[in-house]
Amino acid sequence: MKIDNSLPLEYGTEQNKLNILGFWIFLGAEVMLFATLFATYFTLEHRIGNGPAGAEIFELTPVLIETLLLLTSSFTIGLGVHAMRIGKKNAMMTFFAITLLLGLAFLGVEIYEFTHYVHVGAGLQVSAFTGVLLTTLGTHGAHVTVGLFWGLFIILQVKKHGLTPATANKSFIFSLYWHFLDVVWIFIFSFIYLKGMM
Amino acid sequence: MSELFPRKQVMGFVFSLVLTAAALTVYFLDVSFAIGMTILLVTAFIQAAVQLIGFMHAGESEDRAAIYMNIYYGVAIALVTIFGTLLILVWDM
Amino acid sequence: MEYFDRFAIPHPSPAIYASMVAIGLTVIAILIGLTYFKKWGYLWREWLTTVDHKKIGILYLISALLMLFRGGVDALMMRAQTAVPDNTLLDAQHYNEVFTTHGVVMIIFMAMPFIYALMNFVVPLQIGARDVAFPRLNALSFWLFFMGAMLFNISFVVGGSPDAGWTSYFPLAGNDFSQSVGTNYYLLSIQIAGIGTLISGINFMTTIFKMRAPGMKLMKMPMFTWTALITNAIVVFAFPVLTVTLLLGTMDRLFGTHIFSMTNGGMDMLWANLFWVWGHPEVYILILPAFGIYSEVVSTFSQRNLYGYKSMVASIVIISFFSFLVWTHHFFTMGQGPLTNSIFSITTMAIAIPTGIKIFNWLLTMRKGKIKFTVPMLYTVGFIPIFTIGGVTGVMLGMASADYQYHNTMFLVAHFHYTIIPGVVFAMLAGLTYWWPKMFGFMLNERIGKWAFWFIMIGFNVTFFPMFFTGLDGQARRMYTYSEATGFGPLNMLSFVGAIGLAIGFAIIVYNVYYSTRYASRDIGTDPWNARTLEWATQTPVQSYNFARTPHVNSIEAFWDHKKKGQPLFKGEIEKIHMPNNSGVPFIMSCIFFVWGFSFVFSMWIPAIITTIAIFACMAHRSFEKDDGHYISVEEIEATEKNSEVLADENR
Repeated sequence: MKIDNSLPLEYGTEQNKLNILGFWIFLGAEVMLFATLFATYFTLEHRIGNGPAGAEIFELTPVLIETLLLLTSSFTIGLGVHAMRIGKKNAMMTFFAITLLLGLAFLGVEIYEFTHYVHVGAGLQVSAFTGVLLTTLGTHGAHVTVGLFWGLFIILQVKKHGLTPATANKSFIFSLYWHFLDVVWIFIFSFIYLKGMM
Repeated sequence: MSELFPRKQVMGFVFSLVLTAAALTVYFLDVSFAIGMTILLVTAFIQAAVQLIGFMHAGESEDRAAIYMNIYYGVAIALVTIFGTLLILVWDM
Repeated sequence: MEYFDRFAIPHPSPAIYASMVAIGLTVIAILIGLTYFKKWGYLWREWLTTVDHKKIGILYLISALLMLFRGGVDALMMRAQTAVPDNTLLDAQHYNEVFTTHGVVMIIFMAMPFIYALMNFVVPLQIGARDVAFPRLNALSFWLFFMGAMLFNISFVVGGSPDAGWTSYFPLAGNDFSQSVGTNYYLLSIQIAGIGTLISGINFMTTIFKMRAPGMKLMKMPMFTWTALITNAIVVFAFPVLTVTLLLGTMDRLFGTHIFSMTNGGMDMLWANLFWVWGHPEVYILILPAFGIYSEVVSTFSQRNLYGYKSMVASIVIISFFSFLVWTHHFFTMGQGPLTNSIFSITTMAIAIPTGIKIFNWLLTMRKGKIKFTVPMLYTVGFIPIFTIGGVTGVMLGMASADYQYHNTMFLVAHFHYTIIPGVVFAMLAGLTYWWPKMFGFMLNERIGKWAFWFIMIGFNVTFFPMFFTGLDGQARRMYTYSEATGFGPLNMLSFVGAIGLAIGFAIIVYNVYYSTRYASRDIGTDPWNARTLEWATQTPVQSYNFARTPHVNSIEAFWDHKKKGQPLFKGEIEKIHMPNNSGVPFIMSCIFFVWGFSFVFSMWIPAIITTIAIFACMAHRSFEKDDGHYISVEEIEATEKNSEVLADENR
């Protein structure tokens, strides 16, 4: 394997560069995936049948906690990649671990939020609005869940193999994924919750 | 220790917190729908750009042209899909 | 026993029972044959675990041809049923199932794998690459597609076929009106195949962006590679829409949400909208690679360079963006206001402009060319006028107010067959004949190929031209029969006769493959057509590493300039070559996906959960796996290249 040392480790080999560009293209596809969910959500937002409307069920506190958790986790994974680039393996693993813990906390609050919705009569099968709301949030939540396992595997690999072009590449790509989930959440926060409560 | 917290990233984080607070004004202040949506659109897209450029380093590699083209194309089609769908099924139905 | 009742066919008929027996016997015959001839190891090592883009291309090709046969039988059954008034060959339910599976099979499981077959085989060769960017994902793409296709195809013997049309509009496709599991099959099998396609899209975009031979700038890529790039860009942005649409449909059918329902706020029209947000770009996903093939063929057999290369590129880029701006023209009559219809009417007509540019470019390429009417060229020349008829009737349909007359009539059916058959099927047959020698090391017989062409060309027009008239007379599509008083009888009979002609044409192609395999010369050199692009610069059959030395490109037609002007193509010494290892994981993972889909179709939650975990376990396995590929040594390369005229040519 030829390694180019003039670039950050994660870009070090040809395959690494391919992986990173390929993942960016995948993120382009993810943009469309969530855009379709948003298009569906906006279309059905006010079609509540006999169920509750958004303004009746959204609560600011858990949503704000979720937002802060995810924003902070996006910050810490950025720091993790920075630590990786200056060769600080332990700091990097710590930042990645903090990120995953914040992600886990986010997921915990989201599960609370879902049980709350079911509790106040906004379950999946109640109306078009609740169905698409929970599907959209659930799709994002499923992405976060996958990310938690993925991130865990990467920490284990960095621990075992150290910072090699392969592990650095995986870590960097994981950070792209995690930042992207934060971007999606910003749009959910703004255009599902805040718009709904406005 | 401070080398682990580069200025650019810390500022980016603070900025995104400020943008979140700015978006929250639509909840706490009594604004009209049009003004509220404008605030949300502006804060959300700036925030996305901060993540994209500041944190995700979209412009750092030799493939920046392909990456940006890909993202712009995706966002353009995403907007067409969302607003087209709303036009067909809500605004003009 | 009650548990197993769900697997029964809701509307059995002798034909379906016969199919069950036939499928069972075929499977047993294949298993016995593989065991008897001791081919299990060969199958596993050479095909099931391969990551070689050329072999994956051939796997796609075989699947596509099988599906073409299946979809073709559906088509013949439909034409036979409507050949005479008040026919009772099929009942209404079976007719519904047949036209549904015909559409799905032909678009998703025939046309898509056919274009990916040619892209897989040709694109890495045309850009001088060793393989695609992610060979393992490429294998996964194929196996996901294949398992999706198999899942869809077992529907008619286990649980019942989908019957809500290939567009599967809600509320018809909802639980209230489609009670059998057929629509579940539709949702899950297309979902699985669609994930595979999306992965391919990412893979090919990365490949074309990053793995071109030194000197091959974007504007020096062969036209087929250009169309492959743009096609895959459309795939990447359109297929996620399909993923979500199918997901939402699955939520409605299996988990009781009310997104597309008629009650509790649901909106059935949303399905039509989302389906066509994917569906219209899908049309261009199918047609653009065809344009690429025609460009290669027309330039090779007119023996001159492609006219208007830059305008060709510009028009495909414009088409790719416009393809996302026209989807409403599929449902002008749904009830949205005149503003919306006007906007989409205009965008629809605008998209005809770049397409027209391409037609003129091909015509001008032929002008002053020394045209050789080979089989690929015949398909290309045949394509131009009939595709133009398809395009012009498309503009007619694109006029929103006039569309109220044409909508959902046989006129529409005639229109889209006039675009898709010349646009996709002719192109695939042209491409198949053109690249066949590179794939298999011998040429298809030209004389038999021309017989097939004329049967297909005439059969096609006799089948579909009458439909323009019956459609304008008011024959609705998807109507399983009609009374004699309508007067549709004679023209429908004519269609049936044409369909038989088409069937004979395809049978001749099958015979041609058999005949040429037995009798064709194996001594054809590397470049039997005197072609212009890089795939003809390497040996036939192509070695696993494609090129012993990386080609260097400094013009659009590097190989042609190499032949005619003596520009050096291969420089430097042979070096050891890095290649990816084979892997069984894509195949195994796709088998799990098959079980996963089957479990969801029948709402069997325990296997569904187990297989979901198993799928993620495969992904985790991949994450932890260390696989750095292997090297092919210089000695090995020199040994295989010894007899190749490519090297001899260089040393001259």
